[in-house]
Amino acid sequence: MGKIHVLPEHVANKIAAGEVVERPASVVKELLENSLDAGSTRIKVQIEAGGKRLIQITDNGCGMVRDDALLAFERHATSKIKNVEDLLSVSTLGFRGEALPSIASVSRLHLETRAAEEPTGTIVEINGGKIFKVEEAGLPEGTSITIRDLFFNTPARKKFLKAESTELSHIASLVTHYALAHPDKHFELHSATNAVLVAPPVAGYSERVYQVFGKDTLDQLIAVAAMQPLAHVGLPQPPPWRREAEEDAGPRDPGEMRAHGFVSKPETQKLNRNSIYVFVNGRLIRDRLIQHALTEAYRNILPPTVYPVVLLFLELPTAEVDVNVHPSKTEVRFRQQTVMHDFVRDSVRAALMKARPVPQFINEISAHASASPSLTPGAQQAAAQLSVAQQSGAQFSEGNAHRFAPDTSESRLLNQPANIGDFQLHAPVPPSVSGRFQFDGGIQVEGNAAVALARAPQVVPWNGCTPPIPDEPEEINPTLAPVLASLKPLGQIRESFILAVNREGLWIIDQHVAHERVLFEKILKQRSAEKVESQRMLMPLILELTPAQQAVFTEISDELAGNGFEAEPFGTRSIAIKVAPAGIEACDIEHMLHDLLDQISHEEQILNMDTVRARIAASVACHAAIKVNMPLEQNKMEWLLAELAKTDCPMSCPHGRPVVLRYSLKDIQKAFKRI
Amino acid sequence: MPVEMATATGTATMEITVSKFELLRELTATQGVVERKTTIPILSNYLFEAGGDKLVLTATDLDLSLRTSCNAKVKKEGSCTIPARKLHDYVKLLPDADITIKLLENHWVSIRCGRSNTKMVGMARSNFPSLPVFPTAGVVKIPAQVLREMISKTGFAIANEESRYTLNGALMVLKPESITMVATDGHRLAHIERSGEKFDGVSGEMKTLIPKKAMDELKSLVDSTEAESIEFARDESTLYFRIGPRLLTSRQLTGQFPNFEAVLPKDNNKLVTVRGEELSAAIQRVAQFADERSRAVRFRLEKGELKISASSTETGESEDTIETAYNGDALTVGFNAVYLLDFLKASGNGDVRLELKDPQSAGQLRPGDSEEYKYRYIVMPMRI
Ligand SMILES: Nc1ncnc2c1ncn2[C@@H]1O[C@H](COP(=O)(O)OP(=O)(O)O)[C@@H](O)[C@H]1O
Ligand SMILES: [Mg+2]
Repeated sequence: MGKIHVLPEHVANKIAAGEVVERPASVVKELLENSLDAGSTRIKVQIEAGGKRLIQITDNGCGMVRDDALLAFERHATSKIKNVEDLLSVSTLGFRGEALPSIASVSRLHLETRAAEEPTGTIVEINGGKIFKVEEAGLPEGTSITIRDLFFNTPARKKFLKAESTELSHIASLVTHYALAHPDKHFELHSATNAVLVAPPVAGYSERVYQVFGKDTLDQLIAVAAMQPLAHVGLPQPPPWRREAEEDAGPRDPGEMRAHGFVSKPETQKLNRNSIYVFVNGRLIRDRLIQHALTEAYRNILPPTVYPVVLLFLELPTAEVDVNVHPSKTEVRFRQQTVMHDFVRDSVRAALMKARPVPQFINEISAHASASPSLTPGAQQAAAQLSVAQQSGAQFSEGNAHRFAPDTSESRLLNQPANIGDFQLHAPVPPSVSGRFQFDGGIQVEGNAAVALARAPQVVPWNGCTPPIPDEPEEINPTLAPVLASLKPLGQIRESFILAVNREGLWIIDQHVAHERVLFEKILKQRSAEKVESQRMLMPLILELTPAQQAVFTEISDELAGNGFEAEPFGTRSIAIKVAPAGIEACDIEHMLHDLLDQISHEEQILNMDTVRARIAASVACHAAIKVNMPLEQNKMEWLLAELAKTDCPMSCPHGRPVVLRYSLKDIQKAFKRI
Repeated sequence: MPVEMATATGTATMEITVSKFELLRELTATQGVVERKTTIPILSNYLFEAGGDKLVLTATDLDLSLRTSCNAKVKKEGSCTIPARKLHDYVKLLPDADITIKLLENHWVSIRCGRSNTKMVGMARSNFPSLPVFPTAGVVKIPAQVLREMISKTGFAIANEESRYTLNGALMVLKPESITMVATDGHRLAHIERSGEKFDGVSGEMKTLIPKKAMDELKSLVDSTEAESIEFARDESTLYFRIGPRLLTSRQLTGQFPNFEAVLPKDNNKLVTVRGEELSAAIQRVAQFADERSRAVRFRLEKGELKISASSTETGESEDTIETAYNGDALTVGFNAVYLLDFLKASGNGDVRLELKDPQSAGQLRPGDSEEYKYRYIVMPMRI
């Protein structure tokens, strides 16, 4: 008995219309989703020539009976929804019934499928939309679909395909992310020459991250897990055709929302959003609301122009999310937008706060070393990749090859030929060891050791000449506050960076940003307690503003006043500052205000009061803080570390720069070849 | 006076004997001008020039230079350069005896004193920047004591950085019968004036902006001199101060000193006189409990007393009361404790007159007994 039926016209008309087969990656996405919807636990993808020549997906799902195997290629034929109401609570990845016919019309398609309940399977062949072969055959349970010569009959579309390596990288990224979302399933991706990804089932999400990306990536991440019951407050009224049905059903339990996954520590900084992956009920989506919530979560932890790595799975009742927004199904609409936004923001923020991660020397340094140049190719392709990026997201590791390079010995990502251009998931460039400790000025920390390490990677035996340093269990995410309080300052480097030690290793604290963080939190507290102190100027400081600055000034003038500024209009586009927040030298005020107004005027987001407040506090803190090149006495250093320890977020300054670097005992021992 | 260089044919020579005491005195006096950062290596050297019966030492950091001299037995006239800091540190450790300094080949210099014998390597003399020459005309004599007083009472109020709003220097105004010095950082202003002097060669008003660095150096030179008066001159780009045998030259500051006359309070009517030491001690105690960033303390003027208080969420709160003869209306006004203490320290012991108006207007402080000098300090209030 078949499951597939063609949707009646009035239902089909309710479905967001549009073409979804744009490139090989979109084909893979549709087929992969079908396999997942079919309940498969093993999915194998084979690609040739970046998917242009061949895409083959084999699964062990429910398969199709002979009738269904033919019906599946009809427009709006689906087994996943029946009526309009079903559209309001879609629990499968697919529901449109359009993918298979669309794909079949632009390729040579070969389908082999057998449903569990049938003794034999069915083979269907379609060329450019015309069925030319249907036959019975002995086949394994499950489905295998082979797509050859995509767009062979639509040369115009074929022309727009990117290089094979680019297409493959998108496919790889896609398969990887579905693999991450389903750690309990077996995924494989093969190119003509290589196994790109082989991921057998593992126990959970972090095991999957480890399996796919290796330990280094996992170490970069903080786990997020949160749950919140949903209330029906503010929920829009159900549509009229549903109302009666619900009335006699009585009040439903609204259910709950869950968030889990991983977010990166502040020292991981990406120049674009390509490393942010959000799944809603197993569906990879791109959503501005969630992205904004993430930005908010990282506010004052990351600088505004960089982005974290995020792998976030949101689970909520299907009725709470409308997936019928866009044909590519990568956009959703949450029925309770603000609730969702705040839930994501608060869950991620809480995880970041709880972990209070300390940047590690090596990461911090390599972050700077690799951030810009290697991301440039990605940026150049950004426009071209946009369509796919929206559908599937681009690669997780774009640019930061070595940070997200798998630990080759342990991961099952195998090597890939060199022609895979910008796809670096599986082409780990081992970090050049001698570059690891390089500061931007070219100073090398333990350069000798690093060089030696590159030549002889084994541990140099100590011949018993010195006793080994006793092992201490090392926390993965040492919490900073108690640790900071235990630090003993040794002195300053160039009167700018405090060097301190404790049992965990050597620490470097940027004195300016440390004080900035202390002041920032204090200023915010004073502001909300309305206890702002300010200093009157000897004579008004006349400031000339650009039109953009003037616009921002007008918008935020109340908040400026709340922060201790007293400014009056002074002719066209000039203001006279009479009072400014305490602690800023008069010579700094002009600079500070210009910077602040510029910064806010460049901001893309809508200004809310909290954002403006934080921006102002960050600016004031920056200008009132201890500067670099300033000698500090021992007790002043101790005071600063103690104050820093008291802050909520000692790991990064309000502008998102790191405050503290740690050279862990383990790294020190490694560098000295003790371990 | 610059000494003519005596370059012997071919190789440079120089050989002199100086007393350790005299040499060290001059080396110490010039240390402040020696360039600390070694970006331009020659600037961390002294230029030594020997001629007649004098050794002339010069140090410069390009903004500021100091030329001084001491008596010397000159055996061979000539010049050389010597690493400044090392020489100073070394000479300090020598016994009180004569030191013989001799230029060897390749810029090596030998320094002998008793049984100590050292060689140091300098750089080519020609690398040393040439310095402006003291003008022959327009020289004004300023009593050393007056300058000393004026610098110490205004120098601390100079802004730390230069901006469109603030100048990193002080203004000196010379008139035929008075001298004034003003400094401000945009939050407070120190103003001191002395009349009843006679400045020959000054007609009308002669306004000079003195960079902070020059003020600091000038202060230490004036503090350590026995000379009665110093000679001041300037040309388009340079300021010259001759203090005894020492000549300080400084690049002139360009810029506009704020129109300070407009901000001098005229109608502050809440007046109270207190002991400077008492006020200073009270502020210091109370300020322990002020906000770490703002240093704000609150002044509450009431009949018969002045209450000074501070509070912060972290540390607690504190109050001191000073008895006064005040009999006017009550007033509460906030100030930065650091600004007040700066003034109290500079003005020394004795009575201080506090002249206030309202919580928004500038407060004025003056020493109670300023007869010879008109000294006033204007502090802008804080909102707390
Ligand atoms: N791999 C598969 N295993 C079992 N059934 C499949 C598979 N792929 C497609 N189907 C069936 O074909 C139907 C049509 O697929 P598709 O055109 O992608 O539409 P949709 O997924 O939106 O329903 C699906 O509803 C499903 O019943
Ligand atoms: Mg589908």
